[in-house]
Amino acid sequence: MPGYTSINAKMVQVPIGHGQDVYSRRGSMLAYVGNVDFAPTVTDGQGIGGAIGRRMAGESVPMMHVTGQGTAMFGHAGLYVHVIELTGDTLYIEADRLLLYDATLQKGTMFLGEQGGARGVIRGAVSGQGLFTTTLVGRGSCAVISHGGVIELPITPQRPIHVDPQAYVAHRGQVDNTLTTAMGLRDMIGRGSGEGFQLRLTGTGTVYVQASERKV
Amino acid sequence: MLAVDMAGETVRAMNGSMVAYDGEMTFKRQGMTGGEGLRGALRRRVAGESMTLMEVTGQGTVYFASEATEVTLVELAGDTLLVESDSLLALDGRLQTGVQFIGLRGMGTGQGLATTKVEGQGTVAILSDGPAIALEVAPGTPLCVDPHAYVAHRGQLQQDVVTDVNWRTVLGQGSGESVQFRYQGHGLVYVQPAERGGILEI
Repeated sequence: MPGYTSINAKMVQVPIGHGQDVYSRRGSMLAYVGNVDFAPTVTDGQGIGGAIGRRMAGESVPMMHVTGQGTAMFGHAGLYVHVIELTGDTLYIEADRLLLYDATLQKGTMFLGEQGGARGVIRGAVSGQGLFTTTLVGRGSCAVISHGGVIELPITPQRPIHVDPQAYVAHRGQVDNTLTTAMGLRDMIGRGSGEGFQLRLTGTGTVYVQASERKV
Repeated sequence: MLAVDMAGETVRAMNGSMVAYDGEMTFKRQGMTGGEGLRGALRRRVAGESMTLMEVTGQGTVYFASEATEVTLVELAGDTLLVESDSLLALDGRLQTGVQFIGLRGMGTGQGLATTKVEGQGTVAILSDGPAIALEVAPGTPLCVDPHAYVAHRGQLQQDVVTDVNWRTVLGQGSGESVQFRYQGHGLVYVQPAERGGILEI
């Protein structure tokens, strides 16, 4: 669905119309023109099963369903907003990074253990991501928030990327990620370089990295 | 955010500031002396100008960032840059660092008694809250800077403090611009569009 326009680095404008409804983080509307309705939703259009699953997974950020006719502007806490277009592939993202997405996209919750078994669980716990992550599948746009803006780094089989877990925002494509440690004696005695853990992303896809190590 | 292409060189960067890299990289925290020798380390400890850097070596591209602040690159060709250690993101491995005592002017502005000196040939990446601008100082046209907005300076500059404290300031009715740094001589001063909090509200 076309039409996400960045007004500046921290605000995005979206046309709302028939068949052009979006879900957004609750309370993130800044302004609107026309007849636009904002309805709180717990199911995010996925049925009650998905909502319970998300609540249990701790991947639940209150969302609202935006419908009607007009345009609406969104932003959150002065954070940078980055628009990502999906063309049938899957975006893996933390729920609290998601500002808004097209209702045409399917939202799901994925257990990190599905990607790497027990190591995936450890990875989630260490990096502060939790044991679950949110997925978006389909065709459409979504907007993510970050501290300091994001850069997109392409991942190819010849060029794996290492990311600081706290600066990781999202990734897409056929990507395998593992937690690598470079822990040495120095880290044990508190004289580490501060880069003890890294996420190693291999495969084909893109990773989004923010310019800060702060959580949303 | 700062991207550094490396082919076996070494850069020194603020501890924990790496956000991503590709290729092969090793991260090693610098020892107590930080490449400045035992005397340098002692001076730094006394001055309270603590600085924790890590050495990054390898092949590929490494990305650095800190707290979403802006990055400005400064090229040094044998001259000296004076910068607060908090504002230093990364520097070429060939550059020398040290501590420069600056006297009492740092008191009250939250900068302390000393600042960090970087000299040699290479590139330094400095952090600023908002994009930094470089203001030129020429003989005969001194520049006054708000101490909270000052980031770094280079060149042959004399620094002194200008105060405009009067009874209004004492009563808490000042304009908020009672203390300034004045630079005279020949050089560049880097200024950021935000004011750090100091000890005194001046």
